Amino acid sequence: MIRLSWLQFRTQAVTAAAALAAFAVLLAVTGPHLASRYAASGLSSCHGGSCGNVAITFLSQLQTTNPYPVVYLLGIALIIFAPAIIGIFWGAPLIARELETRTSTLAWTQSVTRTRWLAVKLILTGLAAMAFTEALSLMYAWWADPIGKAIDLGGSTSLFSGGRFSSLVFATGGITPLGYAAFAFTLGTAAGALIRRTVPAMAVTLAIFAVVQVVMPLWVRPHLITPVRTIAAIGPVPGNSQAVGLDYGNLTAVAVPSQPGAWIISSAAVSPAGQQVTELPFACSPGAGAKADNPGQCLNSLGYREAISYEPASRYWPLQGIETGIFGVLSLGLAGACFWRLSRRRS
Amino acid sequence: MSTVIEANGLGKAYRRNWALRDCTLAIPEGHVVGLVGPNGAGKTTLLGLATGQLTPTRGTISVLGAPPAASPAQLARVGFVAQETPVYARLTVADHLRLGGWLNPGWDEELARRRISQLGLDPGQRAGSLSGGQRAQLALTLAIAKRPELLVLDEPVASLDPLARREFLRGLMEAVAEHATSVVLSSHLIADLERVCDYLIVLVASQVRIAGEVSALLASHCRLSGPRRDPGTLPAGQDVIEESHTDKQSTLLIRTGEPVHDPAWTVTPVSLEELVLAYMNPANEIPARRPRLGVAS
Repeated sequence: MIRLSWLQFRTQAVTAAAALAAFAVLLAVTGPHLASRYAASGLSSCHGGSCGNVAITFLSQLQTTNPYPVVYLLGIALIIFAPAIIGIFWGAPLIARELETRTSTLAWTQSVTRTRWLAVKLILTGLAAMAFTEALSLMYAWWADPIGKAIDLGGSTSLFSGGRFSSLVFATGGITPLGYAAFAFTLGTAAGALIRRTVPAMAVTLAIFAVVQVVMPLWVRPHLITPVRTIAAIGPVPGNSQAVGLDYGNLTAVAVPSQPGAWIISSAAVSPAGQQVTELPFACSPGAGAKADNPGQCLNSLGYREAISYEPASRYWPLQGIETGIFGVLSLGLAGACFWRLSRRRS
Repeated sequence: MSTVIEANGLGKAYRRNWALRDCTLAIPEGHVVGLVGPNGAGKTTLLGLATGQLTPTRGTISVLGAPPAASPAQLARVGFVAQETPVYARLTVADHLRLGGWLNPGWDEELARRRISQLGLDPGQRAGSLSGGQRAQLALTLAIAKRPELLVLDEPVASLDPLARREFLRGLMEAVAEHATSVVLSSHLIADLERVCDYLIVLVASQVRIAGEVSALLASHCRLSGPRRDPGTLPAGQDVIEESHTDKQSTLLIRTGEPVHDPAWTVTPVSLEELVLAYMNPANEIPARRPRLGVAS
C-alpha cells in the first residue's frame, strides 16, 4: 500500500521537490550577501541604545536594495500559501478524485481494507506536506536571520517592521508550519471525502483555510496565554530599555521596558486619573510650546503612563507549541472524519 | 449446495430512496450466473453490497459465507470489475499490474503478464489512452490475477462495441474454465449472457422473478400458439407467464414440467431472450411456483 501511495503521489512529490530546490537556490545565492551586509553593518558589535539607529540604517538600505525585499516577501508568501496549495492539490483530490473517476471501486476491492488504504495515504502524504512546509520555513529562517536580528535590536522600516511575533512572521517560523500544513492537508482530504467532488472540495478548502489563517493570528493567538499587564513610564526613544517607546500618532507602545522582543498585544496611554486617552493632550501637542518638543517627557511630567498587555519574548516557543498543538488536534479530528466517511461505505 | 451470495431481506436506501428493498436470494457456487433486470431493479446496488462497496440499510448479505469486505482475507476472495471498468488514467498498464501485486497476497503475476501480452497491450501505455475494450480487459486482468474464489462483474461490457464485447467475454470464460471461479455477472445484454452464463437470475424491483440453470429454464418453458382460448382453461401444471390474444388466436408463454400434448396448440421452444423479457415485463404476473417443476431457486 505504501508503494501504491508513492506511485500515485510521485508526480506531486517531484513538483514539490523542484519548487523546494528552486527556492533553496534563490536563498543560497542571495543569503551569503545578506549575511555579509549584516556583518559589515556593525550590528554584531553595537551596544545598548546605539543599536537601534544602526539597525534602522541597515534595514533601510536593505529595503532599497534588490533582491532582498523581493526574496523577503516571496519567502513569507511561499510559507503562508504552501499549506493552502497542499490542501487544495494534495488533500482535496486524495479521496474525491478516486470517487469521481470511480477508481475507488478498484482500490477498495483489492485485498486491502479501506481503513488501511486511507491510513497509509494520510500518513505518507501528510508527512510529506509537513516536511515540505517546514523545510521552506527552515531555509527561509536561515536566510532571514540577519533581518530578524536587526528588528530585534530595534530596527524598523515600512517593510521590515514585524518581529517574529508579528501576525505573518509568527506563522512562518518555528514549528507552526508543521501545524498549518497538517491542518490544510487534512482539511482538503476531509472536504473531498464529504463533498465527493474535487473542484468544490478545493474551493471549500481554500475558503476555510483562508478564514482560519486570518482568525488565528487576530483573534485566537493573543488569547492562548493570558498576557502580562504592566504600567510603564513613557519614554522618548525606541530602544531605551527603561521606558516605553511610543508611537505618538495614536499613543500606542512600540516597546516594553526591560522586555526586548516582547509581543505587544494592546496598549493605551492613561491619564493621571487612570483614564484611557486617545489623543495627545493639548499641552504636549506640537506647537504648544517648549514642552511639546519632547512629547514623551511632557506626558510623563503630566503624570501620564502607558498601560501595556504583552507576551514576553520567552513565550515564543510556548505559543508556537500551543498553536501547533491546536492544528494537530484539528488535523486528527479531520482525519477521523475521513475514516468515518469511508467506513460508512456509500460508494 | 453452498452459496456464493446469500441475501436476506436485504435493503439499501439513499436518504429515503430505496435502491434495493427486501431482496432475498441465494446464488449457488460453481456457476457463471447472469443477473439481469431492467434499469433500477437494484442490480448494481446488490453487487455493490456483495463487494462491500456499500453497507446494507436493512437485512443481511453474506458472500462465500462471510460478511463482504470485512477483512483483507475476505477481500482477497472476491474479485470485482465495476461498471465502466475504471482504471487509473495516469498509471501505465504495467503500473496496474504492479499495484495488483502489491495489494493482493494471492496475485498471479504470470497469469497477469500472459493475459496482457495475449491482449497485445503495451505495458508502458497509460491506462487513460486505452480504448474502452482494452480498459475493460485491463480491469478484468486485475480481477482475475487476484485469483478470487468469486468474480463479480457489474455491466462490464455495456459500453463496449460488439467485437470488444466478444473478446472480453471470451477472456472471462477462459479464466473461469482455467480456475473454476464462480462468477456473478450483471448485464442487460441477454445475447451476451446466453453465451456465457449457465445460471440466470431475473431481478425486477429488488425481487427475484425467476432463478435457475439456463438449460432447466429453457426446458421448462415453451410457447403455445393456437385458436383463441381462455388461459384459465389450461390444465394444472401449465402456468401462464405471458399471454397475447388476437380475435382468433392466442399465444402463450408457459412454464410446465411436462410435454404439452393438446393437439390444438402449436408448441415452439422459447429463446432465453423471450423468456427473460417475459419475466422482466412488470405487466406479467408470475404465478406461484410449484415444487414439481424442479426450478432451482
